[in-house]
Amino acid sequence: MRIASVVAALLGSLLFLFLVAPIAQLVATSGVEGGVRLGTDAELRRALGLTAATATAATLLGVLGGTPIAFLMERWRFRGRAIVAAFLDLPLLIPHPVAGIALLLVLGRESALGGAALDLGLRIVGSPVGIVCAMLFVSAPLYISGAREAFARVDPRYEAVARTLGDHRWRVFRRVTLPLSGRGLVAAAVVMWARAVSEFGAIVIITYNPKTVSVLSYDRFTSFGLREALPVAAILTVLALLPLTALRALRYERRPDLGAGAAA
Amino acid sequence: MIEALGLAARAGSFRLQDITFTVPDGAYGVVIGPAGSGKTTLLETIAGITPQTAGTLRLGGRDMQVIPPEQRGLGLVYQHGYLFPHLSVEQNIAYGAPDPIAASEVATRLGAWDLRDRAVESLSGGERQLVALARALARRPAILLLDEPFSALDPRRRESTRRELRRIHREWGTTVLQVTHDFTEAGLLGDVAILLDRGRVLQSGRPEEVFRKPASSYVAEFLGAENVFAGTARAIDGSDPAGDAPNELHQAVEFRTGALRIYAVANAVESPGYAVIRAEEVLLSLEPQLGSSARNLFRGRITEISTLGALTRISLDVAGTPLVAALTTRSAQELGLVVGMEAYASFKAMAVHLC
Repeated sequence: MRIASVVAALLGSLLFLFLVAPIAQLVATSGVEGGVRLGTDAELRRALGLTAATATAATLLGVLGGTPIAFLMERWRFRGRAIVAAFLDLPLLIPHPVAGIALLLVLGRESALGGAALDLGLRIVGSPVGIVCAMLFVSAPLYISGAREAFARVDPRYEAVARTLGDHRWRVFRRVTLPLSGRGLVAAAVVMWARAVSEFGAIVIITYNPKTVSVLSYDRFTSFGLREALPVAAILTVLALLPLTALRALRYERRPDLGAGAAA
Repeated sequence: MIEALGLAARAGSFRLQDITFTVPDGAYGVVIGPAGSGKTTLLETIAGITPQTAGTLRLGGRDMQVIPPEQRGLGLVYQHGYLFPHLSVEQNIAYGAPDPIAASEVATRLGAWDLRDRAVESLSGGERQLVALARALARRPAILLLDEPFSALDPRRRESTRRELRRIHREWGTTVLQVTHDFTEAGLLGDVAILLDRGRVLQSGRPEEVFRKPASSYVAEFLGAENVFAGTARAIDGSDPAGDAPNELHQAVEFRTGALRIYAVANAVESPGYAVIRAEEVLLSLEPQLGSSARNLFRGRITEISTLGALTRISLDVAGTPLVAALTTRSAQELGLVVGMEAYASFKAMAVHLC
């Protein structure tokens, strides 16, 4: 037992170091420089603003569309549920540049949808709209699976009781399900947002300009070399810590008895 | 009124099948069945939570096939209460109540209103049951469905809550359907007994009929060889030799059924009602056992002897009332019991459960 504990602790520590060391090194080397650039580099500021705005827009769309999907997947036992679930996970399995190419086929200027949008004056490829689409495609599955977990933790009998107390489905969702799953849904949205912020592969195919931070750091690396890319990467890392910290705070504060409910 | 005719439903891999029974308007129905017999699924099907797959369900004469739970005019109380953890106790009670004052009144009657400022998480299992019951009654439902609603209450609280619920049931004319795995523990037989096992109704009807005339040997065995008598009870003050003063929890009671007077000890007198004596509690002897502590002693004639392995059931006719005793086959043989013989049956007042 003792040996097993020591081995487990050792393995855990090694992995922790492996995960933290490169990021710590990056921030230590260029964190300060990145902070200074924030004041002087207008393109970096624009990229940060664009990244935050597009990631937020993608997350809002993901929440609006993903919440009903997650709820139905969790509460409605229908034939082919497993297949639908697999399709929803698919975007997570595809290499991101491939996802970008697939999106281009559907949303590009030559495609029916992209062409129609262009006729209406909405440019998708090469615009912030394209960035939002790319982010939504690669990160919405994370929200949906997180939201499903949040709904699964709410015992359907709470909803059953609320219905016998006179509430129709929607009112039950608003008065019972949402308050009981709220923290889980917010946590899932934060994960989606963080994933959207870090996206590169799909975005670079659909919209190179205007640049998100991820595209900007790549652009600086190919044009000017590592020295110019590092501060951009460092500042993105520091800013990414914010939603992650918020997420963990939510996780630890979660109330203990949502699902088991009642129990005597 | 609750009418189920060939009702069927499915919950996961469990099936309710061919459920047929009627609980008349304003009556109290009790569903008796072992764990896993489908009692909760039955309540959820009546409530419309679990969709019916076949048959007919009528509540108050209306067919419920397409009526959603919120329009069925019923209340449902689960064993574990399912109080909304994000709301206060007071908000829970008022959740579906059209009138907050009426809600507080019924909560007060049940003793749940004193808990209104407590956090839901801090309530004990029994307190949750009280609040859940108050929450369901606060809407004044025409039909109340109860899933072992008193199981977590201590005996004293259980008794007072049960009494108050009976009073509300009579005052409001509420039709009640309560499920239990042990009706002596629930202290209740109601107006209609429905026996449920493995998703099917074995038998339903007036409790004394169901117990007296089990439809099959399986039902008889399922019921565990109980003696069930319908009759009237009255407290006999000061007749309890052990008690100095009338005690709320233990009252001497005389129960009359047919020509029999049965002595019992109970903490509340419900009359008319039922007296239940487990067949194992009934002792048989060939001579009256003088000096025994048993308060009840009857002479009767043996009408039937049935032996099932090591257990023998002896049916006696006591002045026209059938009484069943269960004894080991060996004892029955040693006593030399035969049909037509006279014998004495005795049991303690404590062995009589009044329901």
